Amino acid sequence: MKKNILFLVLLTCIFTACEKDDFCIENPVTSKLIIDFYDDTNRETLKNVQRFSIISEGKTDSLFVNKTFNSISIPLNSLTLETIYTLKKNEDTGATVDNKIATFTIQYDTKEEFVSRSCGFKVIFNNLEFSSNTNSWITDFTPTTIINLDDQSAAHVQIFH
Amino acid sequence: MYKYFISICLLFVFAENYSQEQKKDSIISQEKDTVIYKTNYGLRLGMDLSRPLFSSLYSNYNGLEIVADYRIKKNVYIAAEIGFEEKTSIEDYSNSTSKGNYIRLGLNYNAYDNWLDMNNEIFVGYRYGFSLFNQTLNNYTTNVSDKENGSYFPAVLNTIGQASTSLNAHWSELMIGIKAETLQNLFIGFSFSYKILMNVKDPENFKTLFSPGFNRIFESNTGFGINYTISYLIPFSKK
Repeated sequence: MKKNILFLVLLTCIFTACEKDDFCIENPVTSKLIIDFYDDTNRETLKNVQRFSIISEGKTDSLFVNKTFNSISIPLNSLTLETIYTLKKNEDTGATVDNKIATFTIQYDTKEEFVSRSCGFKVIFNNLEFSSNTNSWITDFTPTTIINLDDQSAAHVQIFH
Repeated sequence: MYKYFISICLLFVFAENYSQEQKKDSIISQEKDTVIYKTNYGLRLGMDLSRPLFSSLYSNYNGLEIVADYRIKKNVYIAAEIGFEEKTSIEDYSNSTSKGNYIRLGLNYNAYDNWLDMNNEIFVGYRYGFSLFNQTLNNYTTNVSDKENGSYFPAVLNTIGQASTSLNAHWSELMIGIKAETLQNLFIGFSFSYKILMNVKDPENFKTLFSPGFNRIFESNTGFGINYTISYLIPFSKK
């Protein structure tokens, strides 16, 4: 009987000491919007945005500040039906007076979809519409609408500047 | 080479010989032991002890299981387990409760040769399992964070209880275990089982994370289980 109890205690230890066995390896789970930046005159070539900063309207912290990129991926707010980003570039000196500002607005519907036990639920954005303010450094972008945002394999929007 | 082909084949032929043989008259011929030890046949009823134990240890688990088997041959038993289980699966992004009943039916084969009239078992078994249950998604948060930006936008906890009723699961299980007669007709048993899910009905836009009787359903649709049982044999006959 003593042996039995010892055996039971041992087993309980084994079965309760189990570690988490699955981890979410998908990154990101909810797709982000990928934007490529192209040259305005030579429309086939990617063009870096100098001293690039981006912040969402209503947020106090930037996604990043003063970086140089020709492609970015930005998250969308799943709790609202639109996300407005303010994009800053500075191609000249880095002085505040040379900052050029543009706003880029994304409107969409959201849908939640179950992925897996460890990754949980992702958000699929449907019927996306893009717009930017006039007289900004963004001269053009394409396409203006996409049906859904649910993969990360290629850029979703091309912005010309 | 070919000339000796058959001869080469003969190399692989070997013969067994005994160089010493016992003289027939050197051993006293013994009468074969004719005493046959009879053991009890009957219905064995019991319950699982691990489930009430786990119920008291963990606040997110409740369970009870009745076990029974019936001996049909010297080494073969028809076995069944019926039970109730309720478990709340707490994951990083979801919290769900499965609750329902199950039955497992199958055979045990005793691979242990008992001494005298002892009645212990080391058995292997097969079970077909079936469960009927409900699963409620208590709450969840959407996974909107990523490695580069962390959680730039917030995610809220959705607490809309989404209940899915009349879900079911079918599975096969292979088990291995021991049973020992500790007192007259009273048995203590332990077994371990490996389960393979054959079919499961998942809730809409969610997954069955736990099925009663099956335990946690792993990504590969497999599962594990243990039993620690106490059972009493009601003897019908001695054979």
